[in-house]
Amino acid sequence: MVDSYRPKDLKDALSIRAEYNPQPLAGGTDLMVRYQSWSGTLPLFTKSVMFVGHLKEMKYIKKEAKDKTVTLVIGGTATLTDVANNPDTPEVLKKAVLSIAAPALRNNATLTGNICNASPAGDSICALYALDAVIVIEKNGGSREVPIMEFITGPGRTVLGSDELVTAIKIPLKASSVNDFTKVGTRRANALSKLSFTGVADYKNGRIDSIALTFGAVGPTVVRSVELEKKLIGLSGSELKARIPKVIDDYSTVIVPIDDQRSTAVYRKKVALNLLEKYLKELSSHE
Amino acid sequence: MGAKISIPVRRIDAKEKAGGWTKYIGDYQFKNLQHGRFLRSERARAKIIEIKKPDFPEGYYYIDASDIPSSGKNNIQMIKDDWRVFAVSDVKYIGETIAVILGPDKQKVLDLLNQIEVIYEDLVPAFTFDDALSCKGGAVYGDNNIFSEYLLNVGNVDNAFKDAVKIVEGKYETGFQEHLYMETQGLVGAWEDEKITIYASSQCPFYIRKSVAVTLGVPVGDIRVRQTTTGGAFGGKEHFPDVIATPLAVAVNKVKKPVAMIYDRIEDISFTSKRHPSKITIKTGLDKNNNIIAMDIDTLVNGGAYESSTTIVLQRAILHGIGVYNIPNARIRGRAVATNTFPSDAYRGFGAPQGLFAIEMHMSHVADELGLDSSDFRRKHFIKTNDITITNAKMHDEVKLPEMFAKIDEMSDYSSRVKKYTDDPVKGIGIAFVNHGGGFTGNGEQAIIKGVVKMKRLEGGKAGLYVSVVEMGQGLQTTMRKIAAKELGLDYEDIVYDNPDTDIVPDSGPTCASRSIMVVGFLVQECAKKLKAKWNEGVGVEAEDVYKHPDELIWEQETLQGDAYPSYGWGINVVEVEFDPVTYEVKTTGIWAVWDIGVAIDEIIMQGQSSGGVIQALGYASIEKCELKNGAFMQHTMADYTIPTSLDFPKVETCFIDNPYKYGPSGAKGAGELVFDAAPPAYAEAVQNAIGKRIYDIPVTPEMIMGALK
Ligand SMILES: Cc1cc2nc3c(=O)[nH]c(=O)nc-3n(C[C@H](O)[C@H](O)[C@H](O)COP(=O)(O)OP(=O)(O)OC[C@H]3O[C@@H](n4cnc5c(N)ncnc54)[C@H](O)[C@@H]3O)c2cc1C
Repeated sequence: MVDSYRPKDLKDALSIRAEYNPQPLAGGTDLMVRYQSWSGTLPLFTKSVMFVGHLKEMKYIKKEAKDKTVTLVIGGTATLTDVANNPDTPEVLKKAVLSIAAPALRNNATLTGNICNASPAGDSICALYALDAVIVIEKNGGSREVPIMEFITGPGRTVLGSDELVTAIKIPLKASSVNDFTKVGTRRANALSKLSFTGVADYKNGRIDSIALTFGAVGPTVVRSVELEKKLIGLSGSELKARIPKVIDDYSTVIVPIDDQRSTAVYRKKVALNLLEKYLKELSSHE
Repeated sequence: MGAKISIPVRRIDAKEKAGGWTKYIGDYQFKNLQHGRFLRSERARAKIIEIKKPDFPEGYYYIDASDIPSSGKNNIQMIKDDWRVFAVSDVKYIGETIAVILGPDKQKVLDLLNQIEVIYEDLVPAFTFDDALSCKGGAVYGDNNIFSEYLLNVGNVDNAFKDAVKIVEGKYETGFQEHLYMETQGLVGAWEDEKITIYASSQCPFYIRKSVAVTLGVPVGDIRVRQTTTGGAFGGKEHFPDVIATPLAVAVNKVKKPVAMIYDRIEDISFTSKRHPSKITIKTGLDKNNNIIAMDIDTLVNGGAYESSTTIVLQRAILHGIGVYNIPNARIRGRAVATNTFPSDAYRGFGAPQGLFAIEMHMSHVADELGLDSSDFRRKHFIKTNDITITNAKMHDEVKLPEMFAKIDEMSDYSSRVKKYTDDPVKGIGIAFVNHGGGFTGNGEQAIIKGVVKMKRLEGGKAGLYVSVVEMGQGLQTTMRKIAAKELGLDYEDIVYDNPDTDIVPDSGPTCASRSIMVVGFLVQECAKKLKAKWNEGVGVEAEDVYKHPDELIWEQETLQGDAYPSYGWGINVVEVEFDPVTYEVKTTGIWAVWDIGVAIDEIIMQGQSSGGVIQALGYASIEKCELKNGAFMQHTMADYTIPTSLDFPKVETCFIDNPYKYGPSGAKGAGELVFDAAPPAYAEAVQNAIGKRIYDIPVTPEMIMGALK
């Protein structure tokens, strides 16, 4: 027998979470599918459930400025539609979010849910890795902030404690002149990813000042190599152009996908590298 | 498009369906309803050593073959009766029914089911054509795994090959396809008036009645089948409901209470029949003028673990095996094989799409090999009226393909685009020419079905129409009314045509084989004429009409010789694509279709058939991948078995050419399956032209394109 809780506010939610460790349920678009059973019977939840999607304190998107950096703060119950409609949402995240499912689902599903589900094919995650998103975690009497790359530890696994909730996602709004998010799905809409790619980069004085390259659904978690990115910092466009074959070689060792019912390992790898090459060519022509 | 009957009316069921008021099987209320769920085989091929069951609380039942009355038998009487109602002592495919668990509370039924443990001893399963032909693990069927074999021959193939100056060969493969009707399989069996009544989402109420009667060993009149409004079928509810109805009837017969068997979606995709996979090899001999003088074809279809309708599917595949061409010397060997996959069964087209895909791709490859334009080459070989067919009969139809080509060329600008795209690195355009025989093969309408329709004058200037063919989304409730109303001079809304009930309507045959309008509709037209003549006799006067095969058509069933079909629908599709060299994804940029279906009974309904059939076929050709892993379908959710959305393909530009058929109502011919046949080869040829590599198999996935370009 499992119980269900409907907290009246965030404080209440954190106390319930601390006392009974129920599983948070926001839009339920992952959980209701995961625990579905014969229609007309109850879903097969293995733990008690706490509804969080209605909590108003977390349904916001705002900008915060501190020193010289501006941060976009997305509340823990903001839906994918909220994120897509916000004018300050970075282009790659907006594209990623709009590539998920269909409008009806996006009206219900939360960004937090997509992250906490921690699927390697979670489309927003691929963009959020590239944007250096930080996950804000709270519990009764405390909070912490964890970069998304550390938050997700494996397929379906995160560092979230059983007494904690994700209450916001912070995205530093940085200059970025060459952006790409591409999802290769099983069809043109309402499709799950065979793979996805995000590239964001910026030049300063003709040299690459910042760059992030991430790949979804080609490994147990989204793939991003900060080390390989570092090698590109400081290059001019023409230097980058000359380096492209080498960069592709480097990435071919870190992208190690698998075969499954949606696609093949060879295809995933080849197309991931093709997308990378296309992006780098575009980038190199921009300086 | 000149006929008056073609002018569209509002579909009789439009408002009710669009408004969400229509009742489907899951919406019916039954007092004291029990819920059934199958215990299914989890192994592709195994002996059942033991079935460990928990204690069943009162009111919960485990029903298996031992509950079949002694007068009955553990067989499902479909076209063949080899499919077992319940597996006993061994299992032949994953999903095979072992037992029904039923009771009043679904969760308890599920809990009981989960506590049952079946102990198997695995045997070596056969899945592929090679496994089947080499009898891997021992024969699944007979002593050679061949359900049926045919040899068609016209002219002298061996001699003609000796004269050939060039020979081209190719091997073509197609995969499983899931129907994905909107409403899943669902039946309720009830004990009413001391007899079994089956409420069924189905295409063929009389098929269910027959199979249930045979299983229980009772006269057909003891079984009543009532069709419930059916939310799509595509062939998936032709025979397959029998596989649910028979064990269900055994259960109802035992518990004497209403029992529902309604599939969930994942259950439906995992455990229902699919389109037959095929593997077809074609060898063509040409003379020095690039004319085809000989063709040798070897056709294989995978029937799965039981035969059911596989032999008829094979017949259709080979009877359409040389497509729309006049080949003076041709031979087709056709074999249907047994494997340990889920039994394949009817799916829109019934074998013809497989045969036509192979011949169309092959014609394209031969033209390519000769350096000729693929459409010119095919057009040069078009069959003409009175030419000899693969079954050594004359083609009776007036063949309007040249006129139809002119039309589609004008609509799509095909001829100039095909030239324009020759050197285009990403764009391509493809074309395909097909025909599709309407009605049952050969004299089946006479020998097997002999359909009957009845009409009656009702109160208030209305007329009742009694037929066993069903509305399943294709518009039959509207088109049949239009046919009857036209003869009676009534408004189509004044014709009463309810969902068939086998206790009320005569057996006019199943809703399949593109026969409903052409064959049953013609009977309705003739019956309405008779009723009109008697109309003044007053309310209650009845008329009846019975099928009679046209005298001029001859047929020999054993050897498949003679007039294979009463008439053919004809079609041409053009598909234009653009491929992305980075992701290998294909975007379809144009689709055109020209059809000769005699006369359209309703132009908008036919537009719906054209759009629906073409897009369903494009899904089959592009994204509907359905692979086996150890005998189970890997893509068994709607997330993984993807069918096209409205964003995947553009509008289908459709045109109809009138060509009235004398034994069709107002000249109409079969149309429901024809519209599926041409798109797969047209799409594959378009992709082939875009990527500059030959395509032999569908679905043409981005993964496959990447492989071809390597
Ligand atoms: C038809 C369909 C199509 C889909 N298509 C896509 C797609 O294209 N791309 C894609 O990436 N995904 C897709 N999804 C998956 C899904 O919609 C997303 O992952 C969604 O964003 C999850 O959000 P939710 O609010 O519904 O999460 P829920 O199902 O409520 O929860 C998901 C997880 O997040 C946890 N969680 C939720 N809120 C919190 C919180 N505040 N603190 C801590 N943990 C929390 C839950 O405990 C659970 O583990 C699809 C799903 C469906 C049903």
